[in-house]
Amino acid sequence: MSFWGQTLEIARVDLRVERRLGDTLRIVLPFAVVALMVFPLSLGIELAVISRIGPAVFWSLGILFGMQIALRQSVADTQERRDLHALLGVDPAARFVGRMLSGGVLMLAFLVVLFIAMVLIYGPTLPPGSWSTVLVGTVLFSIGLTELGTLAGEVTAGLRNRTALASLIVAPLALPLVIGASQSLEALSRGAGILPWVLLMLATDLALAVVGVGLARPLEEATR
Amino acid sequence: MTRIRVLFGVAAAAMAVGLWFALTAPPDSLQGQYSRIINVHVPSLWLAFLAFGVTALGSIAWLWKKTQRWDRLASASAEIGVLFTGIGLFTGMVWGQAVWGRAWDWGDARLTTTAVMFFVYLGYIALRNAVDDPVVRARRSAILGVVAVVQVPLVYFSVNLFRTLHPIQSIRPDGSAMPSEMIFAMLVNVVAFTILYVALMAARTDVARTEETFRESELLAGDAVKPPKLSEVKDV
Repeated sequence: MSFWGQTLEIARVDLRVERRLGDTLRIVLPFAVVALMVFPLSLGIELAVISRIGPAVFWSLGILFGMQIALRQSVADTQERRDLHALLGVDPAARFVGRMLSGGVLMLAFLVVLFIAMVLIYGPTLPPGSWSTVLVGTVLFSIGLTELGTLAGEVTAGLRNRTALASLIVAPLALPLVIGASQSLEALSRGAGILPWVLLMLATDLALAVVGVGLARPLEEATR
Repeated sequence: MTRIRVLFGVAAAAMAVGLWFALTAPPDSLQGQYSRIINVHVPSLWLAFLAFGVTALGSIAWLWKKTQRWDRLASASAEIGVLFTGIGLFTGMVWGQAVWGRAWDWGDARLTTTAVMFFVYLGYIALRNAVDDPVVRARRSAILGVVAVVQVPLVYFSVNLFRTLHPIQSIRPDGSAMPSEMIFAMLVNVVAFTILYVALMAARTDVARTEETFRESELLAGDAVKPPKLSEVKDV
């Protein structure tokens, strides 16, 4: 099977497992929407403040809950599954890219629903052209966070405190993504160009993809 | 051991010279005596960048050569880097409190990105502490060491990328706004801190080597004192 054939097969199996388990859409998403509602309750009913902080809360929750999606249990491979992949001759780089694709699709779906919920709950004043900016930002943010999550998940595979440790690794490294995504919307509000912020996210995504594919084999060995 | 003592002796002498220059250089006309903090703040963060760069190089070398000395180098450098990032952050906050009137300013991109870099390498150390097997630990932390270094250029160029309160680089190709005496004192301290880094690296890698030898001897002793298997015991 070709590299891309393996990649798509890994992504397809991951998404099928996720559809059956439903961790992202049935557990993480409702929890994130509840968290979205907690902020206005803790701030008091100040509509101007709530409207102003909406996008910032969205990106903050995006990173916190996005990490849960990137580190979801359904992609935490058991040793037997890893051995099976190795015996089948699955390319470690294809495994990384496939996992990135499936995580990216789930993350994107999660963020789109969360953004709609944020708009409904917070009623932010969005400048013209916001939807396309948010879509571009969300796609790049999803790809980058999934790449980071996949890397961190592999590095911490099998460890007792895997979830906490991987989150500690992912959260600070995701800074360029958070800055790029949130500042592109801010720039649009000020009437400034969003290109530098889009390029920052794109460069981060590309760098992580190169590192992930380049280190796929050592990563594979690291989990043995 | 003698080599390490000599290195620390040289580092102490260099630090004393650096301190003398730091205290005798003329203070900034606006910031007054607080401007002397730059002689600890800048060298600390320079050292942190150097240390994290060495961690990345050690990590790449481990992935390539698979020898433990590169892992010792990478981990020792990361620990020292975290220590000096902490010192850089603290001195920056003291200076901020005195000059800006507040220790932490969210408008300062350098401060925020440095704090984030600090946490990235705390994660690196936490990962090392979570894995027992030395080879698995070396491999996993080498991968993280390569990924984590992306924070270094982000921190360095943050003052150019964002509208921020933090002063831009002190030494630039187009000259410097600082008086030459202050620049000279700062450079002497950069050299002194670099010598201290070399001494600390020699000491830390030596401790790591001793720990490895101890662990290996413990394993050997463990095998020796294991009770014999019943099948091996003949005349019971």
